[in-house]
Amino acid sequence: MNAPQVPSIGRRAALVAAALVVLVLVPTFASIYQTQLLTYGLTLAIAALGFNLLLGYTGLLSFGHSAYFGGGAYAVALMMRYLGVSSMELFILGGIAFSAALAALFGIVCVRHTRIFFAILTLALSQVLWTLAYKFFWITGGTDGLRVPFSKLTLLGGLVGFPGADAYPRFIAFYYYYVLAAFCVCVALMWLIVHSPFGKTLQAIRDNETRARFLGVRIWRYRWLAFLVSGIFTGLAGSLWVPLNGLTTPDVLYWPQSGKIVFFAVLGGFRNFSGPIFGAVIFNYLEVYAVAVTEYWQITLGVILIALVTFLPAGVVGTAAQLSAWLKRRRGAAA
Amino acid sequence: MDKEHIQQERRGFLKQFGATMGAAGLGAAGLGTAAYVAAPRTANAAVQPKGNIPAKPIKVGHITFLTGAAELLGGPGQRGHVLAMEEINAQGGVLGKRKIETIFADEAAGTDSNVKELRRMKLSENIDLFTGVISSGNTPALGPVAEELKVLTLFNDGCTDFLFDKAVPNPKYTFRVTNIQSADGVTAAIGTATHWPKVRRIASIQPDYSYGRNVFEHFVLALGKLLPGIEVVSESWPKLGSTDFTSHITKILGAKPDVLVVGLWGGDYVAFYKQALRYGLFDRMKVATTLAFGGYPHAIGKDHPEGVLAGVHANYHFLYPSAERWPINKDFVERYHKRWKEYPSFESDGAYTALYLYKHAVEKANQLVGGWPNDEAIIAMLEGAGIDSPAGYLYIRADNHQGYKDAVTGLSKNLPEYEFPVWDPNSIVSIPIRSITAPPNWAKPGHGHNESTAAADWIKKTWPSAKT
Amino acid sequence: MAIRQAAPAVRVRKKKTMEIVAVQVLNSLFYAAVLFLIAAGLSLIFGVMGIINMAHGSFYALGAYVTAWSVAAAAAAIPPAALFIFLPLGAVAVAVIGLAIEPTLIRPFYRRPEEYQLLVTFGLLLVLDDVIRLVWGGTPLTANRLVDFLGLVQIGALPYPVYNLMMIGVGIAAALGLWAFVYRTRFGVLLRATAQDRRMAAALGIDVGRVYALAFGLGCFMAGLGGAIVVPSQAAVLGMGVEVLVVAFVVVVIGGLGSLEGALVGALIVSALRTITIQFWEETELAALYLIAAIVLLIRPTGLFGRKS
Repeated sequence: MNAPQVPSIGRRAALVAAALVVLVLVPTFASIYQTQLLTYGLTLAIAALGFNLLLGYTGLLSFGHSAYFGGGAYAVALMMRYLGVSSMELFILGGIAFSAALAALFGIVCVRHTRIFFAILTLALSQVLWTLAYKFFWITGGTDGLRVPFSKLTLLGGLVGFPGADAYPRFIAFYYYYVLAAFCVCVALMWLIVHSPFGKTLQAIRDNETRARFLGVRIWRYRWLAFLVSGIFTGLAGSLWVPLNGLTTPDVLYWPQSGKIVFFAVLGGFRNFSGPIFGAVIFNYLEVYAVAVTEYWQITLGVILIALVTFLPAGVVGTAAQLSAWLKRRRGAAA
Repeated sequence: MDKEHIQQERRGFLKQFGATMGAAGLGAAGLGTAAYVAAPRTANAAVQPKGNIPAKPIKVGHITFLTGAAELLGGPGQRGHVLAMEEINAQGGVLGKRKIETIFADEAAGTDSNVKELRRMKLSENIDLFTGVISSGNTPALGPVAEELKVLTLFNDGCTDFLFDKAVPNPKYTFRVTNIQSADGVTAAIGTATHWPKVRRIASIQPDYSYGRNVFEHFVLALGKLLPGIEVVSESWPKLGSTDFTSHITKILGAKPDVLVVGLWGGDYVAFYKQALRYGLFDRMKVATTLAFGGYPHAIGKDHPEGVLAGVHANYHFLYPSAERWPINKDFVERYHKRWKEYPSFESDGAYTALYLYKHAVEKANQLVGGWPNDEAIIAMLEGAGIDSPAGYLYIRADNHQGYKDAVTGLSKNLPEYEFPVWDPNSIVSIPIRSITAPPNWAKPGHGHNESTAAADWIKKTWPSAKT
Repeated sequence: MAIRQAAPAVRVRKKKTMEIVAVQVLNSLFYAAVLFLIAAGLSLIFGVMGIINMAHGSFYALGAYVTAWSVAAAAAAIPPAALFIFLPLGAVAVAVIGLAIEPTLIRPFYRRPEEYQLLVTFGLLLVLDDVIRLVWGGTPLTANRLVDFLGLVQIGALPYPVYNLMMIGVGIAAALGLWAFVYRTRFGVLLRATAQDRRMAAALGIDVGRVYALAFGLGCFMAGLGGAIVVPSQAAVLGMGVEVLVVAFVVVVIGGLGSLEGALVGALIVSALRTITIQFWEETELAALYLIAAIVLLIRPTGLFGRKS
């Protein structure tokens, strides 16, 4: 398989700038509904971005990322319920701190293993967390969950709030940009991370663990750091997501949530930096419209997923890149 | 005191709650409810609509369980909704002009997905009315969303007290048609005390989530007031969706209770009773359920033991009120059976009635304001509305938007004319709803008391305790 | 107030009589037998093909539905004793479906990273769950005739279904049969050789594709058999597959992925643990399950009987 040609720096910058302009303009031409749907998509994309640091760049498949997504969400809900916090910035800090603590702890346990054993360990630990949220109902509300109404939220250090009637459109109009800003920061950060010496080392470990070890790389520590960063990104995504949903329930800690996050990456293509981002946004639309269109949404979603992994082995973004490279070659040959 | 005297004492005690049994049921219940039948009823009368009515269809969203073990409840709800829709459309639509078009979505997709779907229905499909929802885990999530989107909502189940006690304490757009959840455990307790006044040792098996806890709490609380000296000897909390109950059953047998209270429902209950039957559980204790007859009536086989208190979520069974006494029910059951080749459940009644309640409110609002009434006018008509439903009189309270109708339960029996067990007509216990639910404006949890529900606080403070 | 209630506070500890203990042990064994059938299939498929089959619970559900449906359909026509033929037939039907699915859906994924195999079987899970509902609807199906035909035995004062006893026997027979098959037949040798080193096996002239298909079919047969023997004592309900998948997964994780002995021991541990927690510490049932899995993984990441990767 030919590696797709890497576009030049200039072209790439132009593409990113164009995408950014479109994203900024979305609320001007899209309805409130479409805007909030994309807001969901962007929060999920942050989770996918974090997840892919492990899968795509470190070669570790986590099947327990619901722990950090849910951890970030529950951190917000618990802070609102028990500490009376309303500032989104404090929530984000709390969500990051909580998911970082979780990831640091779980990471110590998990990164000693690789492949399927790593996946199973992450899964088992996330399930323990799910049981806690489910069983300690006098703290977590059990299956009723904990409410995080946007009307109680303040953004930008208390400058912006959404009280009163008709607040939902105002909330979405503002929160979209809030999430977009967080998304851009995350993308930039992740870009820097994967292109830093740290990121290069991770990829070296992924590609050949033995060689990396001979070069004196302390593999265990690198994997743990990647696990930590990955958990933090995913936790942030959970914290940003919860005001959109309005509440958090044990569902976000349960294993299908982890499965969805894996799906984002594979759907978009985890060999590409941008693959998981597109995967998350696309999956979000797929799920919403499958449920909306038919009561047989499971079969619809199942068939689409099987078809996508069968026929687009490199993911949506990967396949698109291959396709454009192929077109270019053909054009080159014709000329 | 001799035995007979004790028996009479107890009956007298139970009478305070107005619980009535068997053939006398409807009469007494009717008396008990007469006070709140305030509104003139236009549901069946042909009234000329006022003003210009657009011909644009009414868009309705309905989320219910179309897949998974809870389809047993969601399926009948969907059919009740469709039947009402078809009937109303056959008459030309609401106010003779606007036909109903419903979009359905599957509740089993999960709470988060339901939240997204409700937003989609309102913001993208622009629905006029939202209905459905079975799970008591979902109404507290969807209620606040409905309020923020300002979409008129008639939940036909998801009956947790938590919704209007805490999640939406001051509802404007959200209403709920079926009885409140705390009434379920209390009704099972009154059924138990009525039929088996001598039980003292209580065992419990509940699904391990908020519904199971609600049933357990209110059952024990109410039964403790009704019967002296009860004790809980065994608790089981299987996870929702379990199918192997043999270990729970053996544990319960070992505790030697007089009565077992069961809050399992849907596929869980079917799997449970099949196993309990072969383990001889039903021979060794009385069994009081809250939802044994809650799904498709034919989901329960004739192997189901007789004499089990077979709950219907304290709402409705198609044999009650009886055909001759309450023709509305007779007609409904016939139409439903003709359309679907099966009998309705309480979810069928709830979803069916919800749509007629909407129609009724729109018609009344139209008479007052003319043209197509806005949501404010419809809401004003819904608050305090009363309609004659298949289940009897249904009243929507203005303070909390919750529907109230007399609670019922009865003992299971196999009658030759049905392919599945039904209620023994002489065993049906009907309870005026005001006797078992907190009155309007009773303090909500966290405001003057820390009980889990307003009903629990009200029962603790106001019910007399039975003496030995 | 004279009531002794207040949630779990007061619990009268009755003397646990021997009969309760005996029945609980049997309950535990019956549950273990079913779990073993499912987990052994899951483990076999992983051991040979390296695939975590997320749809395995759906094959179990399929076995339950096919059996219940055919028992109900044939009940009027044939004597009750003959209805037992539908237990193996249900399992065979599932195996046939498995044999059809493997070459069409799974095979294209062998050469791709394991994430993809996970995803394709997850897609299959979604599809199969909906197919079951499409075919049989939402009403639970039952096959209690089989249980009632065999009647009850008395264990002390407590009745116990003979059917359940027999199915514990079936579980033991299946374990022995599977062991003999894997360790005492020529095909078993091929199976183990392929599991050890796929390329080497192919180089030695083993038809790896055929081995894979048969391993997948056998795994599906076991899951289907699990569903078939469970349904007469319970009921076939929607969602039963996903429910059991998680528990079977815990069994396999404890026992060790790819190990049949592990599946057996894991099933016994999980079902005993479950029965004990239900009897004594009801609140801890779920947490105990995952905690024990996590602890085993911490001490022996490959499970009790697993091979090192």
